[in-house]
Amino acid sequence: MKAIIFFGLTAMTAIGLAQDHSGHQMAGMKKQTELPAMPTDIPGWLNAPGADHLFYKAARYNWAINRIPKFAKDMYATGVGHAMAYEALVRGEASTLETKTFDKINWVLKHPPAMPVDEGAISPTFLRKYGYLEKVFDWAHTLHFQTIDVFAHPGWTDEQKEKEIERLWEFYEAQPYAITGLPMNMDYLDSFPYSMKFRTDYPKVNGLFWGYHWLQTVNYDMLYRVPVKDQASQYEVLGARYHETELYKTDRDFMPMMAEMSPRFAKRFPQIANAFDNLHMLHDNVNDILAQPQLTEAQKQEQVKIAIYRVLATTHKGETPGDSEGKENTLHDHRHPPSMPGMGWMKGSEDDIMWMSGMGWMDMSACSHCSIPMPEGNPWGATVSAEGWTMMVRCLMCARDMAGETPGRAIIRAATNDPNRLLVLISDEEGNWTSNIEGIVFLEKFGEHPECSGWSRAFTTLAALEKYVADNPEYKDTKPLTLAEWAALNHATPDTYRKIDKPNPYKPGPPPSNGGGR
Amino acid sequence: MNIINSISRSLALFAVMGALSLAPIASAHEGDCPYCKLKLVQNTKEQDNEVVLKMGNKRIEYRCMYCVIKDQGRYKGDLVVYAPSEKVGEPVVLKRTGGKWTAPEGAVFLNIFNKHADCAALSRAFSSKAALDAYVAKHKVEGAKALTFAEFADAVTKPAKLKP
Repeated sequence: MKAIIFFGLTAMTAIGLAQDHSGHQMAGMKKQTELPAMPTDIPGWLNAPGADHLFYKAARYNWAINRIPKFAKDMYATGVGHAMAYEALVRGEASTLETKTFDKINWVLKHPPAMPVDEGAISPTFLRKYGYLEKVFDWAHTLHFQTIDVFAHPGWTDEQKEKEIERLWEFYEAQPYAITGLPMNMDYLDSFPYSMKFRTDYPKVNGLFWGYHWLQTVNYDMLYRVPVKDQASQYEVLGARYHETELYKTDRDFMPMMAEMSPRFAKRFPQIANAFDNLHMLHDNVNDILAQPQLTEAQKQEQVKIAIYRVLATTHKGETPGDSEGKENTLHDHRHPPSMPGMGWMKGSEDDIMWMSGMGWMDMSACSHCSIPMPEGNPWGATVSAEGWTMMVRCLMCARDMAGETPGRAIIRAATNDPNRLLVLISDEEGNWTSNIEGIVFLEKFGEHPECSGWSRAFTTLAALEKYVADNPEYKDTKPLTLAEWAALNHATPDTYRKIDKPNPYKPGPPPSNGGGR
Repeated sequence: MNIINSISRSLALFAVMGALSLAPIASAHEGDCPYCKLKLVQNTKEQDNEVVLKMGNKRIEYRCMYCVIKDQGRYKGDLVVYAPSEKVGEPVVLKRTGGKWTAPEGAVFLNIFNKHADCAALSRAFSSKAALDAYVAKHKVEGAKALTFAEFADAVTKPAKLKP
């Protein structure tokens, strides 16, 4: 009963929030005018010259990423791209970034290395000057790769993998270079006098960087609870999107966030999702500092150290997610959307409603297709990945129809009757779907959308569907659908869908004529 | 147990429908045009406005005829476009088969907008020239010309000089 009341109230709150502020100028942080000062409690290792790098936790799954060769190569190439750009910046070659350096990086992205490349070999000057930063980056990148390795490792159950991911987080967090897993206020972290300099002056290279971050964030829902045999086929779609579009986008409002690109993973492992977002924000801060010609070399060194300090786990020791009392819009603001603990506070956010670049204002507690609150517990619904975004939806019908009204290939990941068998559907340009589960059958008895998670479901076998129908006799006259029959249906955008009309908080001014939505 | 579940579902439905009814009524099928990113214009009792492109199992809505023809290059397969006409519920059906477009005999097209915000009203299909003339007269459209589909497609694919 509590769930029902919460369900209704959430819907009312979401809609109320969406409309109360319609057309208003979003509140956001103003850019600060003074450079941040050096904190008194900065860790000693930040001033130590030693090359005391850390390495992988010994494990049998290490390098399992290579089971998805195209993905592995693209991931290895991201490190090369970062290193080349940093080397150019610290060698006083910033003027080449958008031309010669861009072309060089782009060549590597098109011809990615087959194994990880030591960034120190590509950016020796950067390493010499900013070795302490490289330790933080390296350690977080190790967590990136090892979490991916766990998911790509065959022979373990999903439960075993999830436990190992938790152990990896503990292993990571115990070290001094660890970035906090607390949600951070992204608006605050992007409010310094140097902030946004890099994306403004070097949009093409910044586009590449944010393209890498897209790849590094989108892959987690591609892997999480997905059988190893069904991972590479998804990368055919995502990898093509990465190379054709995501790397070259220069119109993103903000860097891609983990909870935007991999909402299921971010919900399950919020600390890791937050750590990666904080890592990516540190990248942005460093880019901005290094690209700021007014800063002296000493100031750059100092500001990079302060930027590292801001996101270190040690800086936030004893603090808790969600805590912001009296600390809103500061370094210690750890608010997150109520339904998404794996996401820091964004510019203009109100509870679960946030601006998603390319999608507009979205409510993370509601289905992206029908605007009805997401079901609690199982079945959890589905995600749809298309045109570079990944969205949570309530049911299979919402997933199919949302993909069906979006140009291009799409991926649906959905719950089935068996909590241990995730359905992965991949569509071609014409909306023809292939399934990872042979003999998958669907129930779809079109009715009121608030109940769609009851009447639109997938079953791994006909027997499982028949059992569900026996338990729910209201569906006794509903014909089970094959994949082809189900795919041919389309109920278009439901009447319950409500677009949230508010201006883009990243582009102040009157509301855009398109309302800023999807 | 089933009765409780059934009551629970009904209450949930009631709560959500209640919540939705508190909100000012928004049009159904809200969304943005994949090409111009402006809002789709909803059908009304008097006039259809949604341009629907069908390709296999995809059903993609556009804001106007201009947008759908301008965006056709992204689709490789055969297409069917349901272009709203002067008659509610009776679209002009265009087909692209093997890359070649066909339109119903007698169908004509209007394409005279200067700002994209006006595209849904001024880039449209009509079942006949008489219907286009009546629409132009009713809406006092200046300089309107009835285009065949070939002329329309040719005009659309020329470099655009539109105000945003």
